[in-house]
Amino acid sequence: MSSTKRYWKDLAELHQDPEALAGRENEFPTDLPIDQVLGDPKFNGATTGRRDFLKFLGFSVSAATLAACETPVVKSIPYVNKPEEITPGVATWYASTYYDGDDYASILVKTREGRPIHIMGNPRHGLNNDAKAGKGAINARINSSVLALYDSERVKGPVMRHEGGFMPHSWEEADKAIMGKLDELSKAGKRIVVLTGTVISPATRQAIDKLKNRFGGSTVEQEDGLEVSMGGRVDHVQYDTISYAGLTRANKACFGKAVMPSYDLTKADVLVSFGADFLSTWGNTTEHTWQYAQRRKPEGGHMNRHWQFEARMSLTGANADVRVPTLPSALPKAIIALHDHLAKKAGASTVGGASAEMSEATAKVADELWAARGKSLVLAGANDEGVQTLVNHINWMLGNYGQSIDMAGHSWMKQGDDAAMDRLVQDLNAGKVGAILLHGVNPVYSLPDGASFAAGLAKADLSVSFSGHADETASHCAWICPDNHYLESWNDLMPRVGHYALAQPVISPLFNTRQWQDSLLAWSGADMGYHQLIKSTWEAAMTNYGSMTSFENAWNKAVHDGVFHAYDAEAVELTFTGDLSGAAKQAALMPGQGTFEVELYTSPALGNGLHANNPWLQEMPDPLTKVTWDNYVCMAPSDMEQLGLQTYLGQESPASLVTLSVGDRTLELPAVPLPGQKPGSVSVALGYGRGANGERVGRAACLSDDDGNPVPVGRNAYPMTRMSGSAVSYVTAGELTATGGTYPIGITQTHLTDMDRHSVVKEVDLKTFLTADKEVYNHPHELAVHEDVNGDGVVDARDKKSVLEFDLWNAHAVEGVGHRWGMSIDLNSCIGCGACITACNSENNIPVVGKDEVRRSREMHWMRIDRYYSSDMTKERAQEEGLGKIGMYLDMEVPSEKPSVVFMPVMCQHCNHAPCETVCPVAATTHSNEGLNQMTYNRCIGTRYCANNCPYKVRRFNWFNYVTEKFGEVNPAWDEVGRMVLNPDVTVRSRGVIEKCSMCVQRIQAGKIAAKKDGSPVKDGDIQTACSSGCPTSAITFGDLNDEGSLVRQLATSDRAYHMLEEVGVQPNVNYLVKVRNTEEAAHGHHA
Amino acid sequence: MPLPARFSRVFTGLFHAVLTLLLIASLSGLQAQDVDQALYDAGEKVFKGNCASCHKPDANMTGPALKGARERWDGKGDIYAWIRNSQEYLKTGNEYANKLFEEWNKSVMTPMALSDEEIDAVLYYADNYAPPAPKGGGDVAQAPTGPTDAGSLWPWMLVLILLFVVVALSLTGVKKSLANAVQEAEGREPLPDRTFVQSVQEWAWNNKGLATVIGLAVTVWVVLALWNFAWTIGVYGGDEVAHYRPEQPIAFNHTLHAGSAGDGNLAINCQYCHSGAEKSKHAGIPSANVCMNCHQAVNQGRTEAGTADIQKIYAAVGWDPETMKYTGEPEPIRWVKVHNLPDHVYFPHDAHVAVAKLECQECHGPIDKEMTVAEQWAPLTMGWCIECHGDKAVKLAGTDNGYYEEMHRRLIENEKLGHRELKKWLEDEKVTVKELGGWECAKCHY
Repeated sequence: MSSTKRYWKDLAELHQDPEALAGRENEFPTDLPIDQVLGDPKFNGATTGRRDFLKFLGFSVSAATLAACETPVVKSIPYVNKPEEITPGVATWYASTYYDGDDYASILVKTREGRPIHIMGNPRHGLNNDAKAGKGAINARINSSVLALYDSERVKGPVMRHEGGFMPHSWEEADKAIMGKLDELSKAGKRIVVLTGTVISPATRQAIDKLKNRFGGSTVEQEDGLEVSMGGRVDHVQYDTISYAGLTRANKACFGKAVMPSYDLTKADVLVSFGADFLSTWGNTTEHTWQYAQRRKPEGGHMNRHWQFEARMSLTGANADVRVPTLPSALPKAIIALHDHLAKKAGASTVGGASAEMSEATAKVADELWAARGKSLVLAGANDEGVQTLVNHINWMLGNYGQSIDMAGHSWMKQGDDAAMDRLVQDLNAGKVGAILLHGVNPVYSLPDGASFAAGLAKADLSVSFSGHADETASHCAWICPDNHYLESWNDLMPRVGHYALAQPVISPLFNTRQWQDSLLAWSGADMGYHQLIKSTWEAAMTNYGSMTSFENAWNKAVHDGVFHAYDAEAVELTFTGDLSGAAKQAALMPGQGTFEVELYTSPALGNGLHANNPWLQEMPDPLTKVTWDNYVCMAPSDMEQLGLQTYLGQESPASLVTLSVGDRTLELPAVPLPGQKPGSVSVALGYGRGANGERVGRAACLSDDDGNPVPVGRNAYPMTRMSGSAVSYVTAGELTATGGTYPIGITQTHLTDMDRHSVVKEVDLKTFLTADKEVYNHPHELAVHEDVNGDGVVDARDKKSVLEFDLWNAHAVEGVGHRWGMSIDLNSCIGCGACITACNSENNIPVVGKDEVRRSREMHWMRIDRYYSSDMTKERAQEEGLGKIGMYLDMEVPSEKPSVVFMPVMCQHCNHAPCETVCPVAATTHSNEGLNQMTYNRCIGTRYCANNCPYKVRRFNWFNYVTEKFGEVNPAWDEVGRMVLNPDVTVRSRGVIEKCSMCVQRIQAGKIAAKKDGSPVKDGDIQTACSSGCPTSAITFGDLNDEGSLVRQLATSDRAYHMLEEVGVQPNVNYLVKVRNTEEAAHGHHA
Repeated sequence: MPLPARFSRVFTGLFHAVLTLLLIASLSGLQAQDVDQALYDAGEKVFKGNCASCHKPDANMTGPALKGARERWDGKGDIYAWIRNSQEYLKTGNEYANKLFEEWNKSVMTPMALSDEEIDAVLYYADNYAPPAPKGGGDVAQAPTGPTDAGSLWPWMLVLILLFVVVALSLTGVKKSLANAVQEAEGREPLPDRTFVQSVQEWAWNNKGLATVIGLAVTVWVVLALWNFAWTIGVYGGDEVAHYRPEQPIAFNHTLHAGSAGDGNLAINCQYCHSGAEKSKHAGIPSANVCMNCHQAVNQGRTEAGTADIQKIYAAVGWDPETMKYTGEPEPIRWVKVHNLPDHVYFPHDAHVAVAKLECQECHGPIDKEMTVAEQWAPLTMGWCIECHGDKAVKLAGTDNGYYEEMHRRLIENEKLGHRELKKWLEDEKVTVKELGGWECAKCHY
């Protein structure tokens, strides 16, 4: 029935009054009565002329200006009851522990006025503690985690799903509803599943046990005087986002324990890795990095030898002495070949089936390993039981167990069981699960088939997520009972047998959140909080293992230290029980059919992607590709040329888009050249593409376009992972086609090689370094002069003087007078991880600018890590081939297919003859008598002459006021919550000024004041810059060059020390130490 | 010193003189009271020696006010026995004593070995108690004088100038009338009726040289005045501009608390309250619980306003003076910040107080002598900062500070540069903060 209703606006319309309706069509009357108004006779007498008008205007403007001169009234509100440990203006440090299911580290948290603002590694305790260097290793993901606390998109209290949205509730309501439901389900005999990442917390395990006891299977409970059998069953399933199930299963098969062993890289003279990126993402990287670095100091000849077989140029591969690009499918074959080489030497049985090519490629490795029996280590990255069994046997034959590999004192991490997870998805979909409680995992996002998990989740009667964000999985749950951020939580951890650690809250919860363990305890009806539970757990542990006088003392010491080392695991007799031929068969399975083999990796910045909402990490350039804010297909440049893809990326050169299809899964991604990538293989980073369906996953993981639609950062590649056997495999194969489209990319370094400029990076092979004179590999730059220097009676080109003797400027009196702050950066220890960049971000309030600004080379990082690939073209080769200068330099820009890589952290070099200082028209950048190049923001008028005149290009210009809504999506300092992360000792810069590395002058000043108050000289090492304290490998050393006893002075005067671009003569206070490669062939690069 | 400021000094001086006279007059008035001074003094002595930690003569403290105690006890029991040993006396079952004990939360009074005479003296003292008159820092002299604002003299100056102009104009009129009379008398045309401006123009035309000089002088004066004015925009404190003295939620009297005991003030060390000064960049405004260290007992001000302000502290910390208990409902005090440095300046109190050992007064002025309410005394301009840095000497050698000893060692062991620098620095026979880098940007700006 058609409606006959009529709607009307006014009576005129109702009555269809023609007069009133005339002209209704036009929104405005067409004939504006201007003439009528101006013709009004009362205006005839008006005396306000144009000049008067201008006078009035001028008066009101100046009056407004003068009125604005009044100083605003600032309120100052002190504490009513000041906490004893807080002195406003003084930082308080707390020891705590970081563990997110993947990374683990003992940390120190810096708080100011009760707000955590900076994280560094614990310099005294913990597995990540390098006792020799006196510092704790962390990585970028860990020191950036402080920012995640202040994410305004966190879920601010318990919420329940209601008609497509979430309704806030109180904790009492949530507890009542959830407990009621759990009771109901357990009485109905339904399963209750607790799904978490690997839980290494003894107390959390107890909390889960309490839940089991409350709703557990066979217990008989009294209810209203009647005996009621509780028929439910509580399961605890552990699922690692990035699985190590292949490795733990292999250990179960070989040694009877499904665990990951502890590795000690310091004990490995020869280190061979097959695709394990152990310096940035594989295993417990915070242990590996410092251990590795200890063995990369060439002085004394203790340097290890590192082989890396891999398809993608990983961070670890970039640091290897010998890197063998290998297809992912060929890696197991290489392992079989190596195994058989060693088996022959050891007199064990071979497994056979190695190709001749791989046999040849691994022969030399086998010799070296055999020579270093018991002092070597072989690692493999593949999450495959077969591969890991073979590697176990290799290490077994080499006698590395009990040496570099500790099975007795194994790690408790990486306990995830892919098979159990697979079963859980099936059970969910079969409706066999009554309730599911999720913590620390995001399976809808990270499972190969997340959609089926989501479908199963809908079938559960009760689903509760403890996630801090309404992420991909949580947004499918009935309840979100948000967990505290780890900096707001108590926790205990047992990362390794006998090693306990504590995490303590350093701030009260910002929002109405509750620790998930407290929720578990509340729901299981326990009459204690989680803090009490930890204490009682520890009391038992400490009584057993400690020689303590009182528990309170021991506990307080543990809270202070952050750790409790209960005991060292006793060595156990191991017997190898693995099935080698079965393993070889499984290892040799092909990853699938396709033109390209696809490797899915985790990037050093984002890791498994659960922290993709951290803008500091998103803007941290990938160590190799230098791309920010995106994932992409890494391809060998030769493959790209064949497909006609853009191989040069820059501001105006967008990347080519390609479609990668694996089975029925396709991804459209930009292609990025990665020299060293094995042709025939491509690599895609996991961890991107969060919040693609508009889930509130947190700032920076997912941006929005002008209309507010979600634009995820990158694409999710997890659907391309697959179950292979009983573990998830990250290797597959597929097809790749160019779409013809292009895609702009934010990249911070567009040049690939150093073009043979040895005044930038110097390198030498170990043998030369140990035997030859400094002049051979670290020759100082000299200039020819018009005087007879060498005394041969002739003035010619052989009369040279060191560049240090030429001064264009009057020298600053810094040599030996007062302090002279300087830095020494060891190119050998630097692994390029980028932890220094994020540490600097956190310390110095560096704004995040977003992809588009990065694309325009406007990133604001005070320090960058330059990455140089070697080129096959050299001056010698050009001469041999008769190549012209231009052709030679063009070829030098092209990196080798098998490049060696150098990482070079570059920040302001604090030149004693700084070119920036001389060109500043307003003296905004000046030199201090302590050798610092000072930048005074309030003087700067933004001419940018200094940036133009800087030979190192380390000065950054504030093109915008980044603390505005325009950058609100990416810049954490923009909103009320986010700005709490700012360091109050460092000015937030505004638009139009230059900024740059200050060498953490705020820390220098604080350190000096502390020394003066103490009445003692500044002790070497007491003042650390953010980058030097954040460097996991101790590559950056900061100190006083005028202090004869300082480490930095010792390094600066060592044989390896040189200045970058020495020939410019700017005499920096930052020096670099020549990179030494443990190669037999002479290192690339010749140093005349 | 510009004229207005000098005027202001003279006025302030006169004002103070008048106030002093008034003060002396008021003090002399105190002498005329009809009490037995000897008994009163004896009672005061005993009171201060034995009772004052728990009692006040005229107000309740831990124990009740003593004023009127004898009257209250009259006929109800033996006040002497009660004072000597209250616990023993309670055992006698005296009704009033037990009632008092209950009322005062069963707090036990220490037994007092006092003679009847002494008790009599104390009670006499309490009954006739008169609060001591404020001396020095008392409030007669503290009557707010208003900020020493040079600007307040401008109206007077304007009136003077206007008067001058009126006189000048009328004189011109008189002169013109006289001239016209002369003209008329001589039978000539009266002078044309020109405006003032026209006559000035004509005068200037006739005296070009002089006019140019005067014109230039006026221009230069205006420009300079504007320039000087511009320097004072947003600047408070110092000799020449108003001291910033905002109204505070509690009119905290710095002189009373920190002033010298000789003047009848309390002479509390600045850092008792501003405890951050030695430890932190911030001296810090004390948290209200620090006030309560004393004000839990001291609940009466020297003036009514003072007592009212003490009540505000109680409101802030959530203290109920009646029940002597915390209510648990604090309300922070919103002070108005007096010393506002821009965000890009890093000023560490600890370096100046703990290392340089400066007195607070060097920057904050006579806060313990003549500031009832805190005001910004120094201008806090960069010029003011570096002037001090350029002048203050740092003792490098011969101190027990190992830091400076080390700096000195490096200088003298470095025969080339070190000696050169040291010699340059010592031209004025001292090493100043500036010479150690105190004028460098990144010492304060980062």
